[in-house]
Amino acid sequence: MRRIRIAAGISILALVLAACSTGADQADDSNCADAEVFCIGLITDTGKVDDKSFNQSAWEGALAAAEELGGVAKYVETVDSKDYANNIAQFTDKSYDAIVTVGFLMAEATVAAAQQYPDVHFIAVDQFQGETLPNVTGLMFPEDQAGYAAGYLAGLMTKTNKLGQVLGLEIAPVQLFAKGFEAGAKASNSAVDVTTVYHPPADNAFANPVWGGQEARKQLDQGADIIFAAGGGTGNGGLIEIAKDPAAGESVFCIGVDMDQWNTVPEAHPCLITSAMKLITPGTTQLLLQVADGSIAGGNFYGQTGIAPYHDFEDVIPDDVKDAVADVVAGLKDGSIQTGVTL
Amino acid sequence: MIQGEEAKKLHPTLSYLVQKQSLVVPLIAVLVAFLIGSVLIALQGVNPVGAYQTIFNAALGSERGLLRTLEKTTPLILAGLAVAVALRVGLFNIGAQGQLIMGAFFATWAGFTFTNLPALLHVFVGLLAGVIAGGLWAAIAGVLKAYRGVHEVISTIMLNSIAIALLDYLVNHPFKEPGQALPRTVPIFETAQLPKLGFVPVGFLLALLVAMFISWVINRTTAGFQFNTVGANKFAAAYAGIKIKYIVVASMLLSGGLAGLGGAVESLGITYRFEPAFNKGLGFDGITIALLARANPLATIPAAFLVGVLRSGAPSLQFDYGIEPEIVDLLLAITLLLVAAPILGKLIFRKYAKKSETISSGWGS
Repeated sequence: MRRIRIAAGISILALVLAACSTGADQADDSNCADAEVFCIGLITDTGKVDDKSFNQSAWEGALAAAEELGGVAKYVETVDSKDYANNIAQFTDKSYDAIVTVGFLMAEATVAAAQQYPDVHFIAVDQFQGETLPNVTGLMFPEDQAGYAAGYLAGLMTKTNKLGQVLGLEIAPVQLFAKGFEAGAKASNSAVDVTTVYHPPADNAFANPVWGGQEARKQLDQGADIIFAAGGGTGNGGLIEIAKDPAAGESVFCIGVDMDQWNTVPEAHPCLITSAMKLITPGTTQLLLQVADGSIAGGNFYGQTGIAPYHDFEDVIPDDVKDAVADVVAGLKDGSIQTGVTL
Repeated sequence: MIQGEEAKKLHPTLSYLVQKQSLVVPLIAVLVAFLIGSVLIALQGVNPVGAYQTIFNAALGSERGLLRTLEKTTPLILAGLAVAVALRVGLFNIGAQGQLIMGAFFATWAGFTFTNLPALLHVFVGLLAGVIAGGLWAAIAGVLKAYRGVHEVISTIMLNSIAIALLDYLVNHPFKEPGQALPRTVPIFETAQLPKLGFVPVGFLLALLVAMFISWVINRTTAGFQFNTVGANKFAAAYAGIKIKYIVVASMLLSGGLAGLGGAVESLGITYRFEPAFNKGLGFDGITIALLARANPLATIPAAFLVGVLRSGAPSLQFDYGIEPEIVDLLLAITLLLVAAPILGKLIFRKYAKKSETISSGWGS
């Protein structure tokens, strides 16, 4: 009897787990040594490819490039930060043509691998290349511009003249978002006051939704009515907390980051007026296509940024605000507006 | 020894198995965990045999794989020993993680602070700094236990958090590498680096020697006898004249020193600098390993090797089949559940099952 119960318990456990599992099939890469077949490897820096923001957008870009080229794309998620080199080697061993390393934390491992494997081209997302190697292209973004446009909108929308920012680790891309947001808000509303908080340095700085939620709550309590939550899972925690506020969507709003988070964090729908986007997906695809046709250059490549559609808040945001923001976006694009942000 | 006499009435093979059940139970636990794991893998639409082959091939099939596996095994042996030594005295050292990172940091500190030391001496100084840092950190819990009766499970868990916060401060402020956004130290000097002999890291050989030494201390010396006696029954030990307070502090010092050595070997042999993201979870794996090894110092070697193989092979599992690499954590967790809860032993050996010895005694005092 007892053994039956144990067996039953185990099978229930198995079924539950099976229901949760993704079971993603990895592509067949046995022909990668063949010059005809274009193979793309992607490695995350301890994040997941379905993280609903940063890593996911890069992976979608790799998939799009593989589809366009009729090639193969595969990923490895890093569990232990000591494994970067080993994970890169898995791809180079099979003669992959291009390797996308996603995230600032992999910068050194990427450069080291590029020196070791001169025939492989590396796309280094969010990794500024101080020295130019012929086979490494840093995919960078003018985050300050996306932050500026979102901040401009927030400055026009705020009633309390208090804005908040709940951010991940204090590293260049996050600082650019944050300073751009503040500059944009000040440009549209000189009376505005912006409270900024970065996650303390720790390895879960981009994966601490509890902290993100607590900080967002604090800023709401201090009177902020629009909060920019930028920092992977940490920011998502902030968005979800703000969405729970009784005034969410009426007098309290939130702004997401990296992707159009309307699509990726549905829990934030009650408050999410827009997201400050880095167009990582098209940037990654574009660079991979350049690798395939041989036109790629080493150094840094600047992708595009933008702000996401307003979705359900299309009617909540007054038309004159929308027009003003559209003008700013256009001005940033043609260079007539400068964010004035420096690090 | 009633059990031993009863066992003699059994078939010789069976009686042998009953006597060796501290070896048999973990082995069967691993097998059962792999069986359950294969169901979980099959449910994701992947052939479990192929998946296990991938893990073992990646971990053991090439020189690079072997090097990676041994590198991962090294700190695990030492962390396992740390927990095992404390278990012998009836102390449950949950703080191996904190002691390990203290060791990792201070070994690094010695590695980048002292200049102009000859290579061999510099490595030794680095390792010693790690041992001392880990040992003293654990000794805090030992002293609290011996003189104030603070339960070591509570104090070591709290010391883990304090160690994390303290090191966060140290790498973010006084010892932060200039011009770096990430909190981390500068690299150690080349003279402090532990070399590799082909695919065998020197740290691994060191860990093997330490395991043998600890086994000798525990089984063949007076100190070891006192450790075991206090673990078996501290009242009897006190009656026999053993200074319990002294043994508690000494065993925590040794336990923490071993964990600190694990961190030091990692810093000097692999990472060459300290970063809070390194050394993650090694001390907690040490608990798994010590329990799997039933607190037997030599048995921590195969137990750590198993964990090392699984961890080293896991990324390839995702590469080849797209399964989340965390499946290996599941395998380890199932194994541990089966070993720690006395279910399996009872199921197999029925009335001949030994009551679980060292594992539970840490909680009683």
